[in-house]
Amino acid sequence: MSSTTRQQVLRHLALVADLQPPVQKTGKAPYPTDMTHDLFRAFTRSPHDVGGEFDVPVEWTEEEGEAWGYRAYVTTECLAWRGVWCAEERRRMQNVDLGTSQYLGLPYYGRWLLAAARIMVERGDCSLGELINKFDEVKKRHEPAR
Amino acid sequence: MSQHDRTHHAKIATGKGDPQCFKGTADGPPKFKVGDRVRIKHLPDIFYTRCQVYTRGAVGEVAVVTHESPAPEDESFGHVDHSEWFYIVRFKQRDLWPEYPEAFANDTLQTEFSERWLEAA
Repeated sequence: MSSTTRQQVLRHLALVADLQPPVQKTGKAPYPTDMTHDLFRAFTRSPHDVGGEFDVPVEWTEEEGEAWGYRAYVTTECLAWRGVWCAEERRRMQNVDLGTSQYLGLPYYGRWLLAAARIMVERGDCSLGELINKFDEVKKRHEPAR
Repeated sequence: MSQHDRTHHAKIATGKGDPQCFKGTADGPPKFKVGDRVRIKHLPDIFYTRCQVYTRGAVGEVAVVTHESPAPEDESFGHVDHSEWFYIVRFKQRDLWPEYPEAFANDTLQTEFSERWLEAA
């Protein structure tokens, strides 16, 4: 337990707590001379690796599943059956690629949906332009008539 | 214009499951056996990993040799040509958390690693 690595790891976990969103204390785009190895490691960690990070106790509550969440889940499974991605690629996109703020700040199935949209754009199943237009079209559908 | 590899997981895992579909695909026999003492390597974890940072440098004992699969770091970017062995490793909680109460010295934690993260301790 007294190894240098362990000390590094525990220091890392304490530092990561300082980077928690929404407000980052270290400023934006610092000069390289202000960037230490410890800071680099803290900033580039996988955001889903929350084990050991400092936090307050979370009250456990049972939430009823919602239809949109189930649909998001089924959508991602269908993409897997079609060979678009495998589970590990999906986890990377929905848990890590989006960064700490989105990982902690979005609803659970919101991240699944974002990842599904992202993989389709990356794999060329639709262009980002098409997705944006569809997004806008659906959004307008739900806006009150003017 | 889609260029998915449709022979990928969806095809090889049908009727078998994942990771069962990777059985027999590791580059060799497992390097560790149940009861071996192993230390978790503190490798860079940029872009993706499932090796929890709180285990790095800690020593535990192999509890189960589980299965063969591409490592998460590779599979998460679609590299599935190489598989390796996976292990469930058991740690004493007191070896992971400096402030863990001595009254619970027998508490343990088990988690899973691919072979690249382990070295003999």
